[in-house]
Amino acid sequence: MSFVKKLKNILSGSSLVDDETGSPENKATATEVQVMAVSKKATPASNDTPEEKTSQWEPEPPKERTVIQPKVIAGVSLPQDGDKILIKAQPSLNNDQCVFFVNRPLMKGYSWYFANFEAAAESPLAEALFSLDDLETILVMENTLTVTRKDKTVVDWKPLAEEVGAAVRRVVEEGSPLIADKILNDLPSEDSIREGIQKVIDTEVNPGVAGHGGSITLLSVKGNSVTIHMGGGCQGCSAADLTLKQGIHTSFRNAVPQVGAILDETDHSAGVNPYFS
Amino acid sequence: MPRLNTFKVTIETGDRGTSGPVQFSFNNHTLPFANVQGGTKAGETFEGDFEVNSFPHSLTLVGPEQGEWQLNKITVDYNCENLPPYSVTFDALALDATNQVNIWQDPPLPSFEV
Repeated sequence: MSFVKKLKNILSGSSLVDDETGSPENKATATEVQVMAVSKKATPASNDTPEEKTSQWEPEPPKERTVIQPKVIAGVSLPQDGDKILIKAQPSLNNDQCVFFVNRPLMKGYSWYFANFEAAAESPLAEALFSLDDLETILVMENTLTVTRKDKTVVDWKPLAEEVGAAVRRVVEEGSPLIADKILNDLPSEDSIREGIQKVIDTEVNPGVAGHGGSITLLSVKGNSVTIHMGGGCQGCSAADLTLKQGIHTSFRNAVPQVGAILDETDHSAGVNPYFS
Repeated sequence: MPRLNTFKVTIETGDRGTSGPVQFSFNNHTLPFANVQGGTKAGETFEGDFEVNSFPHSLTLVGPEQGEWQLNKITVDYNCENLPPYSVTFDALALDATNQVNIWQDPPLPSFEV
């Protein structure tokens, strides 16, 4: 007897045993179906038609699994133990910034954002870089530098990148500390940063992005680097990068000036309801 | 998004292994790996690949149906059409029947030495 036929028999109250093949095995199968009917009943109304009840017995779709976004631990790789200082430049897709990977540690365990030349005082690495024309901001993190330029109309990073590479190589070869002691000595605790960032998210950032159905979640604080997730209307939104760099960065740095890197771990390709698609 | 011709995974299992088959999901189709080598018990390394020849809207490693599988490291070698091959290594994580891990990464941005 087919499953549907058995089901109709159950629902209509007729015998569970197939007259043609009423074997004990088939009886057991029918009983199992009845047990399923009890355990899976979806509060049927008393006036439901058999057709409506049958629709409740369609096979369940495969179980939804959570998709983990793993942390990438090896992107651009450079030999760490070579004598030669190696530097690779990687401009961003829209050319608004360029990341430099150096095979030497620049700031272990922490990151620092230099907003301007004044902020670079007593930090030889940042002073050397700000002496270059056209350099706007610098973010130092572990063995990377992320720089932006003043002239946003220039898309070719190669000439400036070569100047940055030469300056970094020169300062690193000198062997003196790269970051000012006053910066390293005054770094706040992770708890203090977490508290400050969470407060600005709750009071300023989330009320702002809520108008677009978005939300920002603080995922972690490591050293003075923070990682966030952009959800709702922000996830996959074509303006997410703008919101991050011009809105969130500014709010975070105004509220907690010692915050270093602000990392977005959102899988924007998985956004299901972006505000701007 | 480039067209993915083939990809190969190398999975280092941590303290907790799994006995079930290793499966991946490509654009929501769950499949076993081809050319499987090694194993997925604690401390073992698993290797497998697949010839996809399609556009990866999603590519995930599916968690085992039973128990927890602790992965120390996942390295994926991608071979895409009209692009040089590239590799990405992912950090440690745990998989089980409720989850899967995204193992697709877009090709790295071009970089140059300075």
